[in-house]
Amino acid sequence: MRRDPAVAVAVVALWAMLLLFVAYPLATLLGRVLFDQNAFTTAGIVAILTDRNQIRAFWNSLLLALLVGGGGTIIGFLFAFTAARSRLPRWLLTAIDAAVLLPLVSPPFTTAIAMIFSFGPRGLLTYELLGLKGVTVYGLTSTLSSEILTYFPIAYLTLRPLLAAIDSNLEGMALSLGASRWRVFRTVTLPLCIPGLANAFLLLFAASLADFATPLILAGNNFPVLPTQAYLQITGLFDLRGGAALSFMLLVPALAVFLLQRYWVSQRFYVTVTGKGAGQAPFDSISPAARGMLLSACALVAATIVYFYALLLYASLVQALGANHTLTLRHYRVIFTEGLRVIGDTLIIAGLAMPLGGLYGILLGYLVARKQFVGRRAMELVSMINYALPGTIVGIAYLIAFNDPPIELTGTALIIIACYVFRYGATGVRATVALLQQIDKSLEEASQSLGAGSGTTFRRVTLPLILPAFFAGLGVVFIRSMTAISATIFLVSISWTLITVKILENITELSLGPAAAYSVLVVVIVFVVIALIGRGLRWFRAPGSLPVTSMFGG
Amino acid sequence: MRIVTHWLRTIVALPLLVLALVSGPSAAADTVNVYSIWPENWARPMFEEFEKATGIKVNFVRFSSGEALARVIAEKSNPRVDVLFGGPVETFAAGINEGLFEPYKPTSFAKLPERFREASGQWTAIADDPLVFMTNDKFLKENNLKAPASWDDLLAAPYKNMLQMADARTSGTAVTRIFSILEVNGRDENRAFAYMKKLRPNVQLYTKSGGGGTLPVGLGQAGGGIFFIVDALDTKAKGYDVTISFPKEGIGTAAEGIALIKGAKNPELGKKLIDWATSPAMQNQFAKYKINFVPAHPEVALEPSLAAVIKGANIFPIDAAYAGANRKHVVERWVAEVLNP
Amino acid sequence: MATEAIGVHVDGVSKRFSHRVKGEIYAARDVRLDVAPGEFLTLLGPSGCGKTTTLRMIAGFEQPDAGSIRLGGQDVTGLPANQRNIGFVFQNYALFPHLSVFDNVAYGLQVRGQPAAAIAKSVGDVLALVGLTGYEHQFSGQLSGGEQQRVALARAIVIRPRVLLFDEPLSNLDAKLRVQMRTEIRDLQRRLAITTIYVTHDQEEAMAVSDRIAVMSQGSVVQEGTAEDLYYRPASEFVATFVGRVNLVPGRVIERSGNTVTVAALGTTIHADTGHSAVTSGAAVKLVMRPEVLELVDVAVGAFRADVISRTFLGEKTEYLLRCGDIELQCVRHNSGAGANAAIREGSAVGLHVAASAMAVLPEPTR
Repeated sequence: MRRDPAVAVAVVALWAMLLLFVAYPLATLLGRVLFDQNAFTTAGIVAILTDRNQIRAFWNSLLLALLVGGGGTIIGFLFAFTAARSRLPRWLLTAIDAAVLLPLVSPPFTTAIAMIFSFGPRGLLTYELLGLKGVTVYGLTSTLSSEILTYFPIAYLTLRPLLAAIDSNLEGMALSLGASRWRVFRTVTLPLCIPGLANAFLLLFAASLADFATPLILAGNNFPVLPTQAYLQITGLFDLRGGAALSFMLLVPALAVFLLQRYWVSQRFYVTVTGKGAGQAPFDSISPAARGMLLSACALVAATIVYFYALLLYASLVQALGANHTLTLRHYRVIFTEGLRVIGDTLIIAGLAMPLGGLYGILLGYLVARKQFVGRRAMELVSMINYALPGTIVGIAYLIAFNDPPIELTGTALIIIACYVFRYGATGVRATVALLQQIDKSLEEASQSLGAGSGTTFRRVTLPLILPAFFAGLGVVFIRSMTAISATIFLVSISWTLITVKILENITELSLGPAAAYSVLVVVIVFVVIALIGRGLRWFRAPGSLPVTSMFGG
Repeated sequence: MRIVTHWLRTIVALPLLVLALVSGPSAAADTVNVYSIWPENWARPMFEEFEKATGIKVNFVRFSSGEALARVIAEKSNPRVDVLFGGPVETFAAGINEGLFEPYKPTSFAKLPERFREASGQWTAIADDPLVFMTNDKFLKENNLKAPASWDDLLAAPYKNMLQMADARTSGTAVTRIFSILEVNGRDENRAFAYMKKLRPNVQLYTKSGGGGTLPVGLGQAGGGIFFIVDALDTKAKGYDVTISFPKEGIGTAAEGIALIKGAKNPELGKKLIDWATSPAMQNQFAKYKINFVPAHPEVALEPSLAAVIKGANIFPIDAAYAGANRKHVVERWVAEVLNP
Repeated sequence: MATEAIGVHVDGVSKRFSHRVKGEIYAARDVRLDVAPGEFLTLLGPSGCGKTTTLRMIAGFEQPDAGSIRLGGQDVTGLPANQRNIGFVFQNYALFPHLSVFDNVAYGLQVRGQPAAAIAKSVGDVLALVGLTGYEHQFSGQLSGGEQQRVALARAIVIRPRVLLFDEPLSNLDAKLRVQMRTEIRDLQRRLAITTIYVTHDQEEAMAVSDRIAVMSQGSVVQEGTAEDLYYRPASEFVATFVGRVNLVPGRVIERSGNTVTVAALGTTIHADTGHSAVTSGAAVKLVMRPEVLELVDVAVGAFRADVISRTFLGEKTEYLLRCGDIELQCVRHNSGAGANAAIREGSAVGLHVAASAMAVLPEPTR
């Protein structure tokens, strides 16, 4: 095994790419922060990092992330529990899934925009409906609500398979011992979910910590947060070094959360998610009253989401929301004429990043999970760096690193594709590693003993079994390629630009119609592609594989 | 499983396709590359007119002034574009400090007033853009207010938490506004800041971009704000019921610039674009496309409806030398005392 | 289907692992095995004794830290698993869940690039051999444990391996099926005459299938031999107790004459075989006394006497627990019909007789 040339080639190639697209840009950025005209200096950074307002922004970021993590996990659990335990009819489950997926597959600021329209002094809900005046929409509350709505699906998707996998005999056992349903939930179900809840919390925490678009629109002046401050430092004050320094401030909590999640929570799962599904509970694990309450709560959240997106759709179909509500297809005409190039660019980039990212994910995941080679752990860790870092840092690092020879990529599609692959491919890596942990090594050994080399074994045995992870990787890379903004806002160029950047630009330019139309288009495209991927997965589905959606969260 | 194998081969073939598709900015002989700070719906028709007139294609992408400048700085050693188009002159002033521009005096240079050109030709103005007060009609009516006609009108109680205006860290609009306030207070910084601090409770949001507040004002989410006239008139044109007014004490105006990037790959084409944009050839087209900038070139007539709006308004230019010298500390003081009291 | 059988030679193979608590430990330590062509050798030992590690090194799944492994005349120590041409049957069968029975069995042949027609024929033949004709299109999830086991077996032998390796292949089956399958495996191995190494912790299974058994403990082979040799002439107390039930009776050698010793034990003198030990007069020993070699006779006739503590009737046999001085002895007698041995009941005294050839001695380990 040690002298397997295929493995050696793959390891060397992956290391080369990781060094080029992860280590090199970050090192360049660090160099730019610490060196001024080739002289080492920390003066600028110290000034930024001791600024009262930046420190406040730092704590605000942590507070927001904490609240989003907590709130999102609770709502995610609510949905997951309802879906797994309420014996819902199939169509209702599908409806919930669709509603929950909406925020996950749309550009990050779409809920923020809808919030501004709905709340605030003249908000559709607060003023037109409730007659409230003088309501402020900017600040912690609305940023928090918007981020929770945007990110709770991640918690839902990680918790639902977990709940489904809890052997219902455990609950049945407790019930037979005389415990009430509530007691069973409290003493059996909930404790079994704790690692999953912790995991979901950390995922949401990290997502919120890195989000810059939502606070940019909603946080207002009294609640500055760090990613937005870093972005403003660069784009507003033209202070690349200061912005980079602020980004590095984010690095500390981001890495802490990542390491906690990776090395602590993941080792404390009591339940292995096999996806075989201990299935529906054989008894009614919740009372009719509780079921009603759960369903109403979920319905309320789902209705809010649907309302937001209906509003978005409406905004794309009227002349000017709030002023002229004549129906029109003008905005779609605009995006399909002037915006055609952007749509084409985005689809080409997403279409290329998707298979490359998927392939990268399973290849790297397979190597680190199954093969022994020097620097295996290091490779896994390095592959997670771009994923764990806030997008702003990654984007700036790429911009600086690849502008000049020897590796001149600025202005090409490759730089955006590379950014997506090495940032979002990490999801595929983790899905692959997780799946491989459930696949006994003896399958590969059996293949070897039957005469297959590692290449053949990978292709004919491992690959078909980890296809779900591959599809999950494809899905995530595609979704992010269509919706991400924080990193790529720095990487779009004269020749290649992206829909999300266009949406943000239209929003700041107040061309709400085209912004809404672009958003609707993105949602539709992503839904279609995800449906195709789901179909593809069913096509190749191996028995006992995980459902593809459950991996989008990770 | 044969399907999988086949399909895998396709994936492996993709990187080759990537190489085929990946291309940098066009270096074709008849194309000039531009970062436009003007929104696409204004920049695009201008560039199309330019191509019609000269046969030179303009390959452009739109960024806000901050983004565009940050990008030009990042690309300094290997510029991707030839021209930076549009955006308030103070963005260009910041660019000069970074050594981003190649001095070029276009054909109209001599004809322009001094405040519309940098002495050595590092930038030249293509338009002028005065600030205005813009208020929501319904808001005024509900609160029995008249459109504000004085800076002090904005301090009135009904405006509490109902104004939106730009953030000085990111927006040229805001910097122009602050210097306007300084001017009407006789450049007495303490008096000016005292006013701004009094205004602070009425400000619902300092927006990142200069026009960020226009839509909320249009919708009535905010009662009013201070904006560039182009943004305000654009809001009105979209059908929102808003009123534009000017303070009797006066309000500032800022020039919009254009500059040649140092190290540009197509300097000759870039210069042709600058020549065209700074001349009546472009500025005469403003009216046709309902772009409500005030032309910078003295030979271009002001469009009548725009003239009607600014008729009688007390508009003064911001002194570039004074603003340039004080910009940094004024913005810092604003952040410290007004934004984060 | 048979290929020419070859021998397997494991020469001084060691494998170290680092253990979280115990530090550096040997999973296998200087293991030497010589398996003759066509022989069925079983590695027997408790869990953690290194038998599976040894097997995996032979298969090429693990690399030894020292020593060499030869198949026939070929040194395969550094050869990857896929070039060794070995059939391996896993404890969990390791059937490819995404492939049908046919594709599972055909896999090794496809890897070898055989033409489809030849593959179809070989797979058909081997499925017939294991009694699974008609199961070609089933998936492993649809098969019973025994059927999965047969598929795994078919998959391993269809490639005509030089050596067949089994890693506790029956441990996931129920008791009855286990007995049936081990017979099938043994028959198949005989028929195909493939050199076979089989790992198990079940001594009965080991005795049932093997030509020869190597008992392993703590990474080393402690005794090799036929089932009978291990059973009646164990080389150590470990082997004596691990293989079957045993009474170990302490005594002292009075006299040695050739392969027979006279031992003072149980208050009398007893003759026994020297077994594999080289004891001399005066040595402290233990007599290896299997329960079934104790003959119950009349008190007057017996070489020594004992009291019956308990009696358990088990159908084909009756188990007795006896006490002789302060030593308890297990004794098993086959029943010959109703009422036989009825006189021997709890509380009664019995005489005991043991043939010298039925016992061996173990030297008492010196401390």
